Amino acid sequence: MPRDASTDKPLVELVNITKIYPPDIVALEDVSLRIYKGEILFLTGMSGAGKTTLIKLLFCLETPTRGLIEIAGRDLFRLSPVGIQQMRQKIGVAYQDFRLLDKQTVFQNIAMAMEVTYASAKEIRVRVGELLDLLNLASKRNKPVGELSRGEQQRVALARAAANRPTLLLADEPTGNLDQTTTELVINLFRRLNEEDGSTIVVATHDESIYAKTEHRVVELHNGQLAAHLEQTPRQVELF
Amino acid sequence: MQFLTYILCQTGKNLRQTWGAQVMTLLTVTLSVLIFAFFFLIYTNMLRASAQLGDDVRLIVYLDQEVTEQMRPVLETRIRDFGPVEKIVFVSRAEAFARLSAQMGKEKDVLNDLGPDFLPPSLEVYPLKNLNDLSKINQFSDFLQTLPYVTKVQSGLDWLQRFGYFTSLLRIVVLLSGSLLIISMTFIVSYTLRLTVLSRQGELEILRLLGASSAYIRLPLLLEGMLQGVLGSSLGLAALYILYQWIVSRFSGPGFLKLFEFTFFPFELTAAILLAGIVLCTVGSLFSIRRFIRI
Repeated sequence: MPRDASTDKPLVELVNITKIYPPDIVALEDVSLRIYKGEILFLTGMSGAGKTTLIKLLFCLETPTRGLIEIAGRDLFRLSPVGIQQMRQKIGVAYQDFRLLDKQTVFQNIAMAMEVTYASAKEIRVRVGELLDLLNLASKRNKPVGELSRGEQQRVALARAAANRPTLLLADEPTGNLDQTTTELVINLFRRLNEEDGSTIVVATHDESIYAKTEHRVVELHNGQLAAHLEQTPRQVELF
Repeated sequence: MQFLTYILCQTGKNLRQTWGAQVMTLLTVTLSVLIFAFFFLIYTNMLRASAQLGDDVRLIVYLDQEVTEQMRPVLETRIRDFGPVEKIVFVSRAEAFARLSAQMGKEKDVLNDLGPDFLPPSLEVYPLKNLNDLSKINQFSDFLQTLPYVTKVQSGLDWLQRFGYFTSLLRIVVLLSGSLLIISMTFIVSYTLRLTVLSRQGELEILRLLGASSAYIRLPLLLEGMLQGVLGSSLGLAALYILYQWIVSRFSGPGFLKLFEFTFFPFELTAAILLAGIVLCTVGSLFSIRRFIRI
């Protein structure tokens, strides 16, 4: 979904965000960033650059030491508990450590995201089936997640993040355990979410292969600071 | 509707995941309700019996000679001057003998050799029904002892007093078993719920991250406590009813239970015990939810 920065209001706005973990570990320093509605943004950088911290801040899992984060014009850290809960239903997150329930099946893990929004059983069945097909997991539908490979678990985490057709999808190292073929499946999922559902997608990754030839914006973090802010020009790309 | 379905599903999931602890909790709640309700049932029956006995209180004043027609109003006036009475019945030797004969029924022949004059004449004094204070009846008894021709005053107060002491003791037992009920139900339900929370810690954390509402997470746990209350109290009361039926059928012949009408709780009281059980279990689950669930 192409975006026009001149008319669009940012969906996410970070203003001078600093995050210091005790005693004095600076994870992010004075980061300002706008993410527009319908945009796909790659957040890149080496391990320890602050990508995961930024994702956590966007999802209210951490609070910034200084600065302001607004999502859809609302100060994230002034939201009431109910406000946070409602916001989380609209944001899909694929965590680096997956956060899946090992004893529950693939279907149950993905369905859980829709159950908390009180979606009907039929809606859940259809949507989960669709995602399993998209991510080539249909044959694993009734398998406990604990019995899957890391790569399969990663796709389950992504499917759960995408289940509610989120307004904002945050994916932390989504292809870390995937081969080239399955990486393409994941990229395809992002593209569909972006184009068909208008989801804004933030991908934190150090896997250069998935953003090297992208037409979307790539933002690089280096030692907790915004190192580069590249507006990619549209071009022939392999993945996007 | 969708909301309710999810809450019920979550509750079912909780119960399945900790079914062992759930069964133990159910048994404890059932037993607590049974113990309390059993003593309470006996207590309420004793209270009713006590009230009946109080209504039947009469003082029998044995005299050493028959009361003449002239003496009757004099005695009556002196008695009524001391305290209000319902009625005073003069029983002559002949009337006493006739009563005894009637009570003996077919065996009245044994009285033939004794003759109609062997029983003493007496006065039966029935205090007013509102005079149910044992000490006042005692005073009345002492006063009657001072009347002319009186040889003995029989009141049956000793027995009533012992009955009163027993009822008081039973009241303490009821209070103790009630306290046991409160402590055991709230504690055990709270503890079991803690197990549920701990066993689902990871899942609850993920639900929070997925944006599950407070109701979505907390209501199933609350419902779990309520269910324990409903099932435990119902089973406890059902067990008590079976026990009650057994007691009634086993001891329905002549004896203690023949003296009083041994009845089960009225519907209102049964419902109140059931409700109390549900409330206590719900309070127990609330304790755990407030303590262990942070949303």
